[in-house]
Amino acid sequence: MAIINQATKELQVKIVYYGPAMGGKTTNLVQVHDHVQTTAGNKGKLVSLATSSDRTLFFDFLPIEAMSIKGFKTKFQLYTVPGQVIYNTTRQLVLRGVDGIVFVADSQYEKMAENVESFTNLDENLKALKLNLGDIPYVLQYNKRDLPNAAPVEYLEFLLNNREVQVPSFVSTAHLCEGVFESLNMITRMLLNKYISQSTPQYA
Amino acid sequence: MVTLPQLIEEDIQQLDAVLEELLEKTDATTALIIDKGGFLIAHHGEQRQFDLTTIAALASGAYLANQTIANLIHETNFNSVYQQGEKYSMFVNCVDECCLLTVIFKAHLSVGAVKYFAGPAAESLARQLVLAQERNPSGGIDLSVLNLADPSAIFRKKT
Repeated sequence: MAIINQATKELQVKIVYYGPAMGGKTTNLVQVHDHVQTTAGNKGKLVSLATSSDRTLFFDFLPIEAMSIKGFKTKFQLYTVPGQVIYNTTRQLVLRGVDGIVFVADSQYEKMAENVESFTNLDENLKALKLNLGDIPYVLQYNKRDLPNAAPVEYLEFLLNNREVQVPSFVSTAHLCEGVFESLNMITRMLLNKYISQSTPQYA
Repeated sequence: MVTLPQLIEEDIQQLDAVLEELLEKTDATTALIIDKGGFLIAHHGEQRQFDLTTIAALASGAYLANQTIANLIHETNFNSVYQQGEKYSMFVNCVDECCLLTVIFKAHLSVGAVKYFAGPAAESLARQLVLAQERNPSGGIDLSVLNLADPSAIFRKKT
């Protein structure tokens, strides 16, 4: 969960990009890293633990500092998980301490089963960590909308956004940076909102 | 899940004092307290030549990966992890359920001394974290000045 450091006036939060293999999670981080507007020094290096074929092996990691809220520096740590089914243990490790999730789904028709499997896997992994998808802010991102075999958004909504509480969803073409910042800003807004509603007001 | 308590100035000073003492005793270069989720909590010693934020994220990942390996060989836990290098080595020791103590030291120094002093240091850190937890078990932060109606103000895309 988020770290609040009163001494150094820092709020640190962890956002994890989750989803099926080759869905565009790493591309999201690369686009944020390449295009985010920051003052010098507020954007960390994008660290990628990948195989020689550029498949994520452990995780990608991007630390960025956003705005100051009441004198608190807000530091965001963006992580991706490896999408391949065999790396489930690694996904569980990366989910530890998660504050918000961006689920990156692959819009292609033939990837629907993988999308659903990955979403179910997310739910199971959170339960293994004694967390509940209902308690953690998350958004859905339907990626690869530029491909000709992309399924209609309504179909993706039916498959992935059909729980009791519907969450915000975004269409994206991550390699063109479309929908990337929209998803990130929404998840940030949702998790900060969660801390507002949880916290007791502090009076000076 | 157990989470790190909210830390105030006094906590950080105490944690920092423990790290300082550890560095003095071992002659190590840098000592870090990191959350198992990957956050850097406190650090002491040399920091200019190291990217401590990234080290924290990777060290916690490496520690947790080793803990999983421990379970696979029917070991309850590997309480510590030692990475030997040519110039610098790193030692990670568990503090409590949510925190790790990481020590970076010159490779020619004795890892035995680092291990010997890191144990009591980890216990001191754990005691301070218990105090912080008892002081404010459900501490939060007032973010009410934030205009949530305008999320675009948080991260902006370069034009």
